Amino acid sequence: MNMMSDTMSATACLLQMADEHFELEDYQSGVPRWCTGCGDNAILAAVQRLCRDEALRPEKTVFVSGIGCSSRFPHYMKTYGFHGIHGRALPVAEGVKMARPDLTVFVNTGDGDCTSIGAAHWIHAIRYNMNLTVFLHDNQIYGLTKKQASPTSPIGTRSNTTPRGSYLEALNPLTVTLGVQNVSFVAQAADWIPEVLFDIVKAAYHHKGLSFVRIIQRCPEWLPKALDPWMHDPNKVQLLHHDDGLQLSTGLSRVYKNQLEHDPMNIDRAREIASGHETIPVGILYRNPAVPCYEDLRYSDKLRTPDLTRAGLNAELDKYTVWPQEAKEKVA
Amino acid sequence: MEADTQAHVAFFLTGRRQSELLDAVDGLDLRPALFAGYRELSQLRYDYPVVLVAKPSDEHFVQSLSGLMDAALAAAARGSEAERIRKHAMRLEQEIRALVAAGASGSLSAIWDKAASRLAKGADKSMTDSLRRVRAAIKIDGELADCDAAMPARLLRHAWSEVQKQKAEAFRKDLDRLVLKLSDILKADFERSEAGRSAKHLKASVGSGYNDTFDFDAMSRLLAKSLPKDAFPEIRRKRIRELLAVLGAQQFYPSADATAKKGTAKPYTFFFDSCSDALAAFRERMPRLTELARAIAIAELEIDGQYSEAKHGALFEQFGANGLDPQDLAPFPDYLVCVNAGRLRADEHAQLMEILSSGLPIKVMLQIDDILEEASVGDGNLSSGTRSRQIANMAIGLNEVYVLQSASSNLFRFRERMLRGLTYGGPALFSVFTGASAEASGLPPYLMSAAAMESRAFPAFTYDPSAGTNWASRFYLEANSQVELDWPIQGFSYEDESHQRVSEDLAFTLVDFVASDHRYARHLARVPREKWNGSMIPVDESLTRERKGLPDKVPSVMMVDANNVLQKVIVDERLIREARRCREMWHSLQELGGVHNSHAEKLLARERKAWEERMQKEAEAHAAAPVSAAVASAERSTSATPVAASAPVEEEPQRSPDEAYIETPRCSTCNECTTINSKMFGYDGNKQAYIADINAGTYAQLVEAAESCQVSIIHPGKPRNPNEPGLEELLKRAEPFL
Ligand SMILES: Cc1ncc(C[n+]2csc(CCOP(=O)(O)OP(=O)(O)O)c2C)c(N)n1
Ligand code: SF4
Ligand code: SF4
Ligand SMILES: [Mg+2]
Repeated sequence: MNMMSDTMSATACLLQMADEHFELEDYQSGVPRWCTGCGDNAILAAVQRLCRDEALRPEKTVFVSGIGCSSRFPHYMKTYGFHGIHGRALPVAEGVKMARPDLTVFVNTGDGDCTSIGAAHWIHAIRYNMNLTVFLHDNQIYGLTKKQASPTSPIGTRSNTTPRGSYLEALNPLTVTLGVQNVSFVAQAADWIPEVLFDIVKAAYHHKGLSFVRIIQRCPEWLPKALDPWMHDPNKVQLLHHDDGLQLSTGLSRVYKNQLEHDPMNIDRAREIASGHETIPVGILYRNPAVPCYEDLRYSDKLRTPDLTRAGLNAELDKYTVWPQEAKEKVA
Repeated sequence: MEADTQAHVAFFLTGRRQSELLDAVDGLDLRPALFAGYRELSQLRYDYPVVLVAKPSDEHFVQSLSGLMDAALAAAARGSEAERIRKHAMRLEQEIRALVAAGASGSLSAIWDKAASRLAKGADKSMTDSLRRVRAAIKIDGELADCDAAMPARLLRHAWSEVQKQKAEAFRKDLDRLVLKLSDILKADFERSEAGRSAKHLKASVGSGYNDTFDFDAMSRLLAKSLPKDAFPEIRRKRIRELLAVLGAQQFYPSADATAKKGTAKPYTFFFDSCSDALAAFRERMPRLTELARAIAIAELEIDGQYSEAKHGALFEQFGANGLDPQDLAPFPDYLVCVNAGRLRADEHAQLMEILSSGLPIKVMLQIDDILEEASVGDGNLSSGTRSRQIANMAIGLNEVYVLQSASSNLFRFRERMLRGLTYGGPALFSVFTGASAEASGLPPYLMSAAAMESRAFPAFTYDPSAGTNWASRFYLEANSQVELDWPIQGFSYEDESHQRVSEDLAFTLVDFVASDHRYARHLARVPREKWNGSMIPVDESLTRERKGLPDKVPSVMMVDANNVLQKVIVDERLIREARRCREMWHSLQELGGVHNSHAEKLLARERKAWEERMQKEAEAHAAAPVSAAVASAERSTSATPVAASAPVEEEPQRSPDEAYIETPRCSTCNECTTINSKMFGYDGNKQAYIADINAGTYAQLVEAAESCQVSIIHPGKPRNPNEPGLEELLKRAEPFL
């Protein structure tokens, strides 16, 4: 009601009071076991910064991961976390979000985790478009299991499973994601450009829907020189900017001169940019806030009372019940 | 002056009637000429009766019979039988109207059946068929209400209960959620407790099928080891139990399950027929309401895990000490008070004013049956409608009261506005004229109230404080006909003595409204047809004349008798004075509604004058120097080209190659440098590296860090200690990073 909109009620005041201030330390947990120099550290720093800046309440925040070096991420966050099973980070996160839409849910998944064993879940998660922020830590290798080629390893990558070099052209996670129905946010970051990494992490968090961020991540342990050509020649990185996308600082513009204005609403152009070979596009490729979220489509305000849960469980379990012959006859 | 005119003027000035020249109107059964067509209301289609829809969806809590019929016909009367079905349906509608007017009451379906069986007698089968089809197209039911004295209160109460039902549902849903979530907290606490981890409880939760599979004692011992370090505070447990008790004992809404548990107190009622009773109830329940609102607020915080004794304890202690805000009151039921203006004693009047100025969600219906009562000052002073209208005007002055004034005839059209008043967060006044004093004039209440509205004696308007911050958005007057005029003008035609059709425009004034009320008979006198003359002028015309000295024209109104024969009736000055007052009041309403607004008109006149002067000057200047003026304006436009603004450039500190530094914003937090020397290299608030203490390590470490830095952002500068061993080699290695 207009008359009262500018006066705050007593209750609102009391709730407001609960606003808290956080420091980076409030989100740090343990000392990461990643190798020195590993790109995962940069991702962790950016995400902790986001949590602090957005004052995310630790008890209302969940990080869900699969298996891999990158999937150790939840251990290093002082929030709720779920270190899941290989390839299943997304379905677990979807379940969490469905049951508790009030939580902020992040997903950390490796290139093996997401694009190999978890590929089917990945496609469907994009289509369900639930409000999740997904970070694909793409180091183009299986790190934890000590160097096996992954789907995103560039052709010719020598590894323990491909000692003579991999035979197949690498899978492009950006074009795959941009090809799925209901895709609503796709961005690419590089761990060695922390400023842009942070801006993208932030934009992804603020997008309502599934935000898919592929982060090109260095693995100095198994592929120490793999990304050198791009790191040593800033012109091989193409920064995407737009009034509705990222705005580049002057400091950044001085180093990265290869820039492209790209409207994140333009999906055709996004697919074209994502398909390029020589340069790595960094920025927001696609964003469409109008795509509905699955949890909203399926929202029910029915209270989940113990009775309701019990009835649902019973109905579900009854499906698997093998009735004794007599009982069946009785029912009939 | 002729004798006739003299008698007319004398009557006008003194109210004394020369009986041989003028007739008394008493007993003549006259009514305003414009009403000639409305003698048998049941033959006409209009908004009443209405159906008070049972189980309505949103604003369709009331439907007019004719509207329902039209919609049903649009659906059911198609093809070649359409005309037949329509005719039969109209017959039925008439029959229902007649039944209701004769006092029948009940639901639409009951009265429909009654009317239909009456019509079916002696009619052929096609009638039954038509009515069956139309009936099938009407999906709703509910009580029928005619436009009588009781209708406004019934309608409002019906709408109010629907609004309260919705509020109750929302409130209960919220309450259930709070209770469930609070209980969940206690349940989780129990599961973590010693009892929750006992073998017995574990056994019970696994179910009988696995009794032998597990060793529950071992399980219990195992789980006891991992009991949480932080015990659930006893004070919190107590608080949650208390909250649950308060939530469970609330009496503001009936509990969801019809079979309320024994011992639970009966829910309060919120409908009253006296202002003082309503206020007393509100005051008495206030402590309980505050307690409940407080419990809800704390429960929300508890559930969200935000409640902190240190932060909130003292505040909630004081909760509601200064009363509650409208937003805190909003989820609770609104009070409805229905009072009759005719029976409003001074003390009730005072209580009514207190309610309206309290800001509380109390809705008051002020029912006015008579606006033609004589003023209390007596001596024949008239006061049509002023007393009850005063209350509505005062309520508007209070600024935060939703005010609806309407004649009952217009109430159906105001149904959506009624709802708005009922859902408004503060007090609301519904001031309704019922027309029930109509016995005094022999008119049905519908016609009486419609006439009151038409004649500006009781104009309809709403004032909605929630609709915006200014009068234009808050005040609504457009429901009245021809709102920009003093009096609405209607076309009127009749047949004269030579059977010629005569048409003229008649203004419907206050005098037309009161003319049929016998209490006003002495202010009127019929002029026999043979005495009609040019000195008789319409009331509206007479009102616009300024009188100096003795009048030569006398105001008159056209009326018809029971046989619809046209009559002319002259009016005395006292009644004209009253009509003038009525017009003045209408003018101020018009101003509030933005019609002929004096401020706006003044401003407009001033601006127009200024504009004319400017045009005049420009024309003169143009005539004097046309060429140079054109050049000057061209110059102006070129010099106005904007100068491109240069974007501000971020300053970067000037660095000397001798200085050791890190390009911190580009650091990717890879831990290489900090692993080499965690005292020399530190992380800032964003976890990006900087040189924390240059003296905490060697030049060799600086160079090593620069070499291992993944993004090459460590610049080692020049060595500080000239005696460090191997400097020559180190300087060479440092070169690429300077
Ligand atoms: C079902 C299953 N299959 C295989 C494995 C072995 N495994 C563990 S991690 C991993 C790949 C990890 O690679 P990636 O997801 O790219 O993570 P990274 O370590 O590179 O961050 C595999 C195959 C497993 N743990 N579970
Ligand atoms: S193996 Fe590679 S990905 Fe894993 S922690 Fe080490 S550097 Fe990082
Ligand atoms: S080595 Fe470079 S990137 Fe790594 S933490 Fe130090 S400054 Fe940052
Ligand atoms: Mg990997």
